[in-house]
Order: sequence, then C-alpha cells, then structure tokens
Amino acid sequence: MQRRRFLKLGLGATALLAVAGAGTALLNKHGLVEGRLSAPSRQLMRAITVAVCGDLLPPEGPAREARLAQHMDQLDRQIAGFPPALRGDLGQLLTLLGTAPGRLGLMGLRNPWAEASAAEVQARLQALGRSSLALRQQVFHALRDLNCLVFFNDPASWALVGYPGPRTN
Amino acid sequence: MSSSDIRDNDGPSGVIASISDPIAEGLARGWKVLGGPHGALPASLDCDVAIVGSGAGAGITAEMLARAGLKVLIIEEGPLKSSRDFRQRESDAYTQLYQEGGGRKTADQAIPVLQGRCVGGSTTVNWAGSFRTPAETLAFWGERFGLSTLSFDAMTPWFEQVEKRLNISPWLAEPNANNQVLRRGLERIGIPAPTINRNVKGCWNLGSCGLGCPTNAKQSMLVTTIPAALDLGATLLVQTRAERFELQSKLGNSDEREAEALICQPIQTDGSPAGAPLRVRAKHFVVAGGAINSPALLLRSDAPDPFNLLGRRTFLHPTVTSSSVMPEAVNGWAGAPLALYSDHFLSTQPMDGVIGYKLETAPVHPGLVLTNLGGIGSALAERARALPQTAVLIGLLRDGFHPDSIGGSVKLRRDGSPALDYPVNAYLLDGARRAHLTMAEVQFAAGAKSVHPVHELAQDYRSWAEAKAAIQALPYKPYITGFASAHVMGGCGMAADAARGVVRPDGQHWQLRNVSVHDGSTFPTSIGANPQMTVYSQAARMTAGLARRLNGREVRLLAEG
Repeated sequence: MQRRRFLKLGLGATALLAVAGAGTALLNKHGLVEGRLSAPSRQLMRAITVAVCGDLLPPEGPAREARLAQHMDQLDRQIAGFPPALRGDLGQLLTLLGTAPGRLGLMGLRNPWAEASAAEVQARLQALGRSSLALRQQVFHALRDLNCLVFFNDPASWALVGYPGPRTN
Repeated sequence: MSSSDIRDNDGPSGVIASISDPIAEGLARGWKVLGGPHGALPASLDCDVAIVGSGAGAGITAEMLARAGLKVLIIEEGPLKSSRDFRQRESDAYTQLYQEGGGRKTADQAIPVLQGRCVGGSTTVNWAGSFRTPAETLAFWGERFGLSTLSFDAMTPWFEQVEKRLNISPWLAEPNANNQVLRRGLERIGIPAPTINRNVKGCWNLGSCGLGCPTNAKQSMLVTTIPAALDLGATLLVQTRAERFELQSKLGNSDEREAEALICQPIQTDGSPAGAPLRVRAKHFVVAGGAINSPALLLRSDAPDPFNLLGRRTFLHPTVTSSSVMPEAVNGWAGAPLALYSDHFLSTQPMDGVIGYKLETAPVHPGLVLTNLGGIGSALAERARALPQTAVLIGLLRDGFHPDSIGGSVKLRRDGSPALDYPVNAYLLDGARRAHLTMAEVQFAAGAKSVHPVHELAQDYRSWAEAKAAIQALPYKPYITGFASAHVMGGCGMAADAARGVVRPDGQHWQLRNVSVHDGSTFPTSIGANPQMTVYSQAARMTAGLARRLNGREVRLLAEG
C-alpha cells in the first residue's frame, strides 16, 4: 500500500494561474528569476514595502530610494536561504500577483503596482489581513511578514526602533 | 539615538571576539566531520549506529552510544556553525540556523514554526528553559497510552543525570525587565512567578540565546554531547539530509521488517541537492531529526504504518502573544529571555477540560517581535518606535489532552519535503481568548500604559476594563488570531501497544526491528512545558536500553570530569 501522504496545497497558486487564464504569457514574467526577485517583482515588493513600513522609511527622495534598494537586496538574500519548495510557492505567488487578473483577483488592486498609491495598497493589505479566506490570508502573511522580518532584521533599522544592537562585552 | 551609537560587530570586536571556539578547536584536533565545506561524502559508509539529527535527542544518544564503544555516525542536514559565527544578528541567525531559512510555517501558513536546523538542532537556538516533564503529563501518558513505566518517579533519575550533565540549575541572576513585568503583574493578582531552570554555564546574560550563544555558555548539544561523541571517535556528516530508508521486502503477512540502508543526500545550505547520494549501512538506526522531520523520513521510506498513526498527533504548544507598552524602559532584547514563568493557568481546570496555558516571556528582538505583533503602516510604525518600552508575554497552549485537540498531521510536499497540516479549531481559539485576557490583566496589573493582544482586529487598549470588554467581544477565528510555535512534538508517538503508537516505550519502531526514534516526535501529547528536558531525559532512558541490547554495555549520561 502507498503510505506516503502528499500535500495538495501550498499557496494554491497553480490552480489560480489556470483560472486567471494567464497561460503562456506568464513564461516571460516569472516572479523569481534564478531565485531572485524579477524586475516586475521588485516593483511589486517596493509597493508592498512602502505600504507596510510607512513612515519608518525615509521621506521621498534619494534616501528613501537607497533604503528601498538595500531592502530589495536583503529580500533576495532572505529568499535565497529558503528551501526550493518555499521559493517555488513564493515565486508562483509573485508571478500571479504580477498579472492584472491575479492582482485584481487576489488583492482587489485595480492600478498596476507601479501606479498604485501607498494608501491604496495599504487598504488592500488590511482587507487581506482581515479576510476569512485562507488564500487571501496566506497572500497577506507571505507579503507582510517577509517584508517586516527583513526590514527589522536589517541593522539599518535598529536606530529607528531604539535597538542598540548586540552587546559584545 | 544617532546611527553612530549602534554597536556593529562586523568582524571581531569586544571581549566576545577573544572567546575560544570549541568547535574550531575540535576540528583542529582531527574530529571526523564531512559534508558541506568539510569535505565530500563517500558513496557508502558503514557504522554500528547511524543517528539522524544532532539536536536534543540525537546529541544525548550519540554521546551515550559512543561511550558504549559503538561506532557512531551522526547525520545532520543543517550546517556546522559555532560561536565564532554567532554574531547575535537576526539577519544571519534565522536563515542559517532555523528550518526552512526561518520560513517554516504550518501548511495553511497560519502558524510560524521556529525549529533549529544546524548542528545542535533546536538546542542551539532555544531560550534555555529547562523544565522536568510535568508529573501530570507523564500520568496522562500512563493512563491513555499505557506508558505507566514512565512515571515522574521513574523518570527522576534520568532528569537528575541530564541536569548534572548540562549544568541545569535555577537562574539566580536578576530577571530582565521583561520578565519582571510578568512577576510584578502576577504578584499583584496573587499568583507567584517561579524561577526557571536554565542549561547555562558562565552565562553573560546577553539575551541572544535564540540567535546562537556567542559565549558557549548555553549547554546546547553543539558544545556538550556532540563534541563528546566526536572526541570518542564518532563521525559527523553535516549538510546531509537523510532521504529515505531502504527497507527489506515484506515477508508474508507480517508487518515486521528491517531497514537495510539509509540513503542520504548531500545538500546546499538552502536544502537543494549538492552531489551524489550516500548509502549508509548500520546495525541500528536512530531517527532523531525532530518532530515534523522524523515522521517525514519514515513517510518518505514507506515505513509500515498499519494503524495509520505516522505523522499524526503532531503538537505545537500553539502560542499567543500579548505586548504591552510600559512607562519605563524595558529593553527586552537584553538579558536571559526566559527567567520566570507561571503554570497557574494549566491547573485552573481539569487537564482534559478547556485548554490550559503556560505563561512565559519572549525576547524582544526587532525582527522577531515586530513581525509577530502584526500591523502595517502607522500601527506598525507606532509599535516599532515603542520597542524599548515594550514587554512581551506569551501564552503556550497545552494541546493534545482533549478529544478536540488532536494536533496536526505531517504530510509530504511533491518534492518530499515535509509540511505540517495543523488546523486551528474552536477549542484552541477559546484558549487563545482566555490567554489574551489573562496576559492583558497581568500587564495592566504590572503598570502597562497600553496592551495589544496579537489579533488582526485588536486595538491598543488603555485599561484592563477596556481590554477585557474588547477581548471578550473580538471574533476569535483562524488567521486573524495570531499564533506561533517554537515547540514541535509528536508524530511518532510512543505507546504500550502498536495500535496506539508508532514506537514502543523503549523508542524502537513497532514494525521496524532495527529503527528507533529518540526525539520529541515520540511524545503522545504536548508536554505543557518547554520540551528540551523531556527530550533529553527520554533519549537518555531509551539509549541506555539500546546500548544494553546492542552490545550489553551499561551506559549512563555522566557528569563531565
């Protein structure tokens, strides 16, 4: 008797990809490329980071852009440490959210990532976090928690939160 | 504070840089370590006993079997990291030292699971809380699983050996301010907060236990039993995943079989394959990869499971959190993270009644805490800026003692990696609400300015009356109620008969003659306390029996020197 019990879920993104009818058009728009955020995913993550971190980021201008660029690199580093299965799930989610039907269906976000306002993305994230649908909650936690963990793990954020860093003597 | 005040320890700095590294010294002495940067694996290896894992159960087993004169092979999927690598940085630690790069969660993503994946396993990253198995837990196992030989009295000699070996004693230093919030609040409502026993020797009270101890004070398996086994000639394979057992073909109608070999896969640090597999032959195999991983190895091996128990009844001590902003500085990242606790709310109802909870504190490191407290935008920013005044209490729900608390099931993803399907049900959610109420009451009694239970719809409450009314009215539903876990138990439960358990009371698999399980996956319920002491003492008991069976030697877990 076959006793292995395989799991049939993950983020459920595969089924949704089919529903979204995105099909082969997605082949050129993968969420992760060689384990790193693709250009469209960086745009998406940037919008999420701005919504999640709010005014913890420097005011708009070069300082903010530099902090965001560093954050994207740290996200890549964190994602590189994930096992392939987890990276696969995250890649699927980002691929899906990079499409208009995915973005609208999962997030309820009308404007493309690059054009959506922080308030708009915040409102949509808030709604996901309060949703009773497992899939929406999974999207919320995948995006919010990853950004949050990487942002506050970064020594660049320590002064903001009054953390002096580790004691060494 | 300006950024120049930030202490940054890129490269050696401070007195810590002068601390000697026992792992580096052992490697220089000629320890047999292979895998990852330590050298390629051969195509096959033979030994007396192959041990999967290097955490609490595996470490104890390895030292005792090596002392019994057996040829021991330890197989660890994580990397070998040691004090010179432990920079007390969240940005390194979760990725390098935890399962799934710190991203392990239950299958529906509702519960983050903190579990070690490095030499020393979770003992390298736990918070050093060392509790003897509660007597009522062992009594329950006796009654429901036929484990009457494991009474508290019967286990006491094993507790004593472990305590001696790992320098476990009460934490006598002044508790940090975060723990004092727990004590002050509890005392004001008439409940004592006893002192926690910790497995430390010369602790610097840094507070970085969860990030790898940089001073080697924590008596984890990394600095105790694993070095002892290696000094006795054991071999350690790192970055090597135990993939599956090759089982002997089935004989007649009997379910009883033997493992002929263990196929292992060298891996990169992210878990992807790195090179050709290794075939390990051994007289006996001890599976001690921790709950979730141990049942997963047996599932991948198509191990006999005639009663459909494998991977089931996996428990988490699902943990809810309440943060409070205090009028004074707490600086909850500094000092021993666990110093005080309360078991009062484990015993305010029958053990198999509504779920009980243990109260403890959590270290207030920015990444861990701000991720788990929830919130985005201005709510998150406000929480972040109040971090120095923030105290964090946790309530650990004791799962597995009620018919509505059957825990989760370990399943395999398509690539064979495990995932734990753990549904959050009404029974747990009721406990979450009660624990949130208690923690808010304690925090306000301690003088909190505001309290925030971790729940997506909760606000920051300004008084106990306001918090009480709000928590009673909040909808406690899956997802919006925040849970986390750092204690994974069960999935290969032990029982006095095969119909109730995966392994026998002595740890041997009920159907596989030469396979034992020596880790927290053997627990038939959760523990109701931080599990490391229970893993150590059960592993010591099981290993003494195994050594006797394998070569007739009597071994104890002796105190050093």
